[in-house]
Amino acid sequence: MKKETKNYLVSLSCAVLLALLIGAVIMLITGHNPLEGYGALFTGALGTPRGIGNTLYKAAQLCITGLATAVAAQAGIFNVGGEGQMFLGALAACWVGASLNGQSPWLVIPLCLAVAAATGAFYAWIPAVMKVKMGISEVITTILMNTIAIKFCTYMANGPLKTTERGVNQGTASLDKLFRFDKLIPGSNLTETIFYIAVLTFLVWYLMTRTTAGFEMKLTGQNPRFAKFSGIRAERLAIIGMLISGALCGLLGMFECFGLQTRFKADFSNEFYFDGMLVAMIMRYKPVGIILMSLFFGVLKIGGITMQSRTGISSELILIVQSIIIFFMAAEDGVMQRLRLRRAARGLVRSAGKDGEA
Amino acid sequence: MDWSTVFSMSTLVNTVNTATIVVLAGLGCLLTDQVGIMSIGIDGMMTAGAFAAVMGSWLCGSWLMGIVFALAAGLLFGLFYAVFVVRFKSDEFIIGVAMNIFAVALTTFMLRSIPGQTGSFHPATGTVTKLPAFTLTLPGGTPVTLSLMVPLSWLLVAVCWVMMYRTPLGYWLHASGEHPESLRSVGRSPERMRYLGSLLCGLLCGLSGAYLSLGYLSTFTENMSASRGYVAVACVIFGRSNPLYVFLAALLFGFIDTAGQRMQGVVDPTLTATFPYIGTILMMVLLAARTAIRKRRA
Repeated sequence: MKKETKNYLVSLSCAVLLALLIGAVIMLITGHNPLEGYGALFTGALGTPRGIGNTLYKAAQLCITGLATAVAAQAGIFNVGGEGQMFLGALAACWVGASLNGQSPWLVIPLCLAVAAATGAFYAWIPAVMKVKMGISEVITTILMNTIAIKFCTYMANGPLKTTERGVNQGTASLDKLFRFDKLIPGSNLTETIFYIAVLTFLVWYLMTRTTAGFEMKLTGQNPRFAKFSGIRAERLAIIGMLISGALCGLLGMFECFGLQTRFKADFSNEFYFDGMLVAMIMRYKPVGIILMSLFFGVLKIGGITMQSRTGISSELILIVQSIIIFFMAAEDGVMQRLRLRRAARGLVRSAGKDGEA
Repeated sequence: MDWSTVFSMSTLVNTVNTATIVVLAGLGCLLTDQVGIMSIGIDGMMTAGAFAAVMGSWLCGSWLMGIVFALAAGLLFGLFYAVFVVRFKSDEFIIGVAMNIFAVALTTFMLRSIPGQTGSFHPATGTVTKLPAFTLTLPGGTPVTLSLMVPLSWLLVAVCWVMMYRTPLGYWLHASGEHPESLRSVGRSPERMRYLGSLLCGLLCGLSGAYLSLGYLSTFTENMSASRGYVAVACVIFGRSNPLYVFLAALLFGFIDTAGQRMQGVVDPTLTATFPYIGTILMMVLLAARTAIRKRRA
């Protein structure tokens, strides 16, 4: 293992443990038993087949959203708008799917996949072009576009595209049974979509670590000036990164609606994208790291729900713990540098002292 | 539709009221912009301020304590941001976005565990005292009620302008962002100026949050800043870092927001709620296009 990776893993473990410790302190302050809280968390996520299914599914979701953030970030553009891309991709796929109810799934599902990916990519392309051609900060535009997309989709699902089925009070028309992704573990959220997600994960990993484009992205991410002088077209790369990122988000939206929801519902996502984005930030946009960290965060997320229902500790605590990990990891670089400088300075003083004696 | 309801006195008042949220946050963002920090985290500072204000007002039974709490929360978040960005030299985007998520999670967690409520704050005992408001009678005879924070925000715009362009402190702040080395050569620490900028930003965002939860509305709801912090950042970009222009940009945002609400009879309210965000993005595109045209001419 490289020394850099090793150091990083040590820091990361410290950050995670410290953050969990802070979480425990918060539990104590609010009058709960931390052992009970974390106990409920881990048994809830890993204790039953249903829990394991939910955890795996959550991890898959985090993995895709994390990779979506990473692909863009490596190419030098920060996609905070995945939530909006996900909503639009889901709505478009559900609309196309439901209007083709009764057709062959071999025709409809690939079509819907294409529609979801294209819609998400298109919605990501707009801020990418604004960034590259006009220099408008993509962080601001993407986050504002989230609100626009979510409100628009909510309007469509409760207005023009609202289902006419009786007894269903929200969402678009339901999808044909043949189009839906079935559950793998009864009672859990784990659906067949996990296979699609596995393929996508492999493709993105391959792109980021084994292709020229991935290498160029890495170079641009590390040192934009060097990348520019070595002939990499950073602007084109940024747009490509954003298109892939948007397509991934659109696809995830479709998986969610074709799997669990069986139709588009305006409340299908509980800010999924931001959870994945946090994972990507913690792992510094490294694909393998994101895949592994998704599993851990999946446990936290799903366990958090059990923790809330069993002990009454609000599951928001998990989000607090996650953001604290980011703060630690973001400070890590600076702190390490300081420590190294101080050690070097002390070494200098010591050697100067020895010279004096001699 | 009846356009007279869109262009009326009450629209103007509403515009000013809505804009004040963004004006205060925008001034904060402006100051960090001066010291060379991109303030992505102001949305979180506003959320924290809004929550602290409601808690202060409810616990102590006075709006003044609400403001004190909000200022303290803002200051704390501003310091937090500065420590990471200035001292540890962390990525502003990562810290900013993480701080916004953190603030929403923390306030939601506290809302659910201290008063034990979900969604928004409705106390069973005690009341949330709102900021004082005063009523003016305009020449047309229409009475208008404004929160105290509204004229205060105008005053702050003026103070900010004077400080930036007429005092040494303003130049030092600016220099710490533009030319830190020249500031160092006259014996001033750019790092200290950066801390100052970020702390002032925290205070102003705390005020903005207090106005949001105690003036504009009278309760705290989960995630109540609704990305207005990002709108404030956009207003600073659009206002090219001049307090007066930032103020005008915020007013424009307030107007689009209000006009959207007035059109709810014709357009679905869910759709009109997107107008201010679309407007903000269009504002930024227009500015960029204008700059590009000027560059081509030059």
